[in-house]
Amino acid sequence: MQSAWVSLRGASFGYGGQAVVSGINLRVEPGSFLGITGENGSGKTTLLRGILGLLAPLSGSVDRRTRSMGYVPQREHLDSVYPLTVEEVVRMGAYGRLSGLRRLGHDERELARTSLERVGLLHRQRELFARLSGGQRQRALIARALVMRPDVLVLDEPTSGVDAQAQDRILGLLDELRRETPLAILLVTHDPEPARLFLSAVLSVGGGTVRELSPEESVLGVR
Amino acid sequence: MEVTWAEIWELFHFALLAALLAGFVCPLLGCFLLVRRTGFYGVALPQFAAAGVSLGYALLPWWISTVGIGGLDLRTALETPHAIETYLLGWASITTLGGIFFLALLGRRRETEAGWVAAGFAVAGAATILLGLSSPVGDEFVHGLLHGELLIVGLHEFETIAAVFGLVLVLFLLFHKDLLLVSYDRETALVLRKNVRAIEVLLAVLVGLTVSVGTLILGPVVLFGLLVLPPLAAHGMARSMGSFYWIASLLGIGSALLGFYASIRVDWPLGPSVVAAAALGLIPGCIGSLRRG
Repeated sequence: MQSAWVSLRGASFGYGGQAVVSGINLRVEPGSFLGITGENGSGKTTLLRGILGLLAPLSGSVDRRTRSMGYVPQREHLDSVYPLTVEEVVRMGAYGRLSGLRRLGHDERELARTSLERVGLLHRQRELFARLSGGQRQRALIARALVMRPDVLVLDEPTSGVDAQAQDRILGLLDELRRETPLAILLVTHDPEPARLFLSAVLSVGGGTVRELSPEESVLGVR
Repeated sequence: MEVTWAEIWELFHFALLAALLAGFVCPLLGCFLLVRRTGFYGVALPQFAAAGVSLGYALLPWWISTVGIGGLDLRTALETPHAIETYLLGWASITTLGGIFFLALLGRRRETEAGWVAAGFAVAGAATILLGLSSPVGDEFVHGLLHGELLIVGLHEFETIAAVFGLVLVLFLLFHKDLLLVSYDRETALVLRKNVRAIEVLLAVLVGLTVSVGTLILGPVVLFGLLVLPPLAAHGMARSMGSFYWIASLLGIGSALLGFYASIRVDWPLGPSVVAAAALGLIPGCIGSLRRG
């Protein structure tokens, strides 16, 4: 069996020593497409931060075998006052590998270009990111995450606030990525229903813990 | 008698070069203040720095008698530019960095932040005048501030501003990508293992250094104008982040040149002339913003 990119064993995460979610056992396998769902304030973001390594576990253990993680934040968190082009936003994905005066090399520029092509936005690379529609911005952020050369791609509510057509395009794109590469995908969403056909499992966060929903619960959207 | 441009250059070239340098560097940092939605810091911080300079003047006699400045007496210290500027720069830096810390704390209380910044600006403005006038040696500084004249910029002042602004520029270029990433998307910067806290401190230090040295040598009026106006004008015209920086800096340099020209031709004080020239850039900036929608 191929080893998991991320393994959580009895892990608890929280703030100021207070656990928000605890006793979590989870393996993020290559090629898996996991949905994480739960009500507002249930601890989805806390779990996400724990998986990303932004929070140390309060107890239990976290084993990461990734070289890099890709992260797609909620697009509402990105201020539209920045006059960034789509290309400038996508190239930020390479900033983790750059320091000081080192400029983006040919490989990084080419990776940004192919990532934009992959999400169908190469023709809009010179436009202002803030002028794109919600779905297009989300795809541009996925392209940026791909430039991070991730083993695990973590997306925070990528389908909220976009129309059904854009939702289908984003989910279809993620499914293609997962099939073509050993990339594992974690999708945080308050509504897993539109994604259920693509997801290998749905984890429900609530009551301070995480449990895997059965296929029936997942289909019915039961928490 | 008509004064030739050669004579004007001979008399004022250090002031012009310092204004040009400020015109290039200040808008770069102003761009960050604007997109981080802290543009009002560009007005408040130079006033905090000016209050620091006045405080330094007010405390100077006491400082010399108790702490000392290289064993100099009051008269000799005032006649030694290096000694007095280093001393005043220390006070300007303390009040500017203190102001940044104060504003960062208030930034957590978004709903009243603007009110506190306005209050800080008003108090610092009054303190600048009152402390300066209460000092037996600070009234010339206050007089210069009120009239918006660039304080006399000689070789030493130019060397100071060139060294500090040069350092700020190098650090800005070195860490620009990190500054942008942390400002735009803090969470992703953390995922990419950036030292976010250190980068935010670096930005505060760059702004603090620029404001304190710029205010001490060029006065707060020029700093207000160059930190705020060119970035605001450039924002309406920019079609990328890269062009945003370039347009802002070019407008800053153009403002310094045009302000200097107007100051000589019309005999206006240089500080307000630079700001008036920078304000002209707002016209195409406004048109660009309206067209962009």
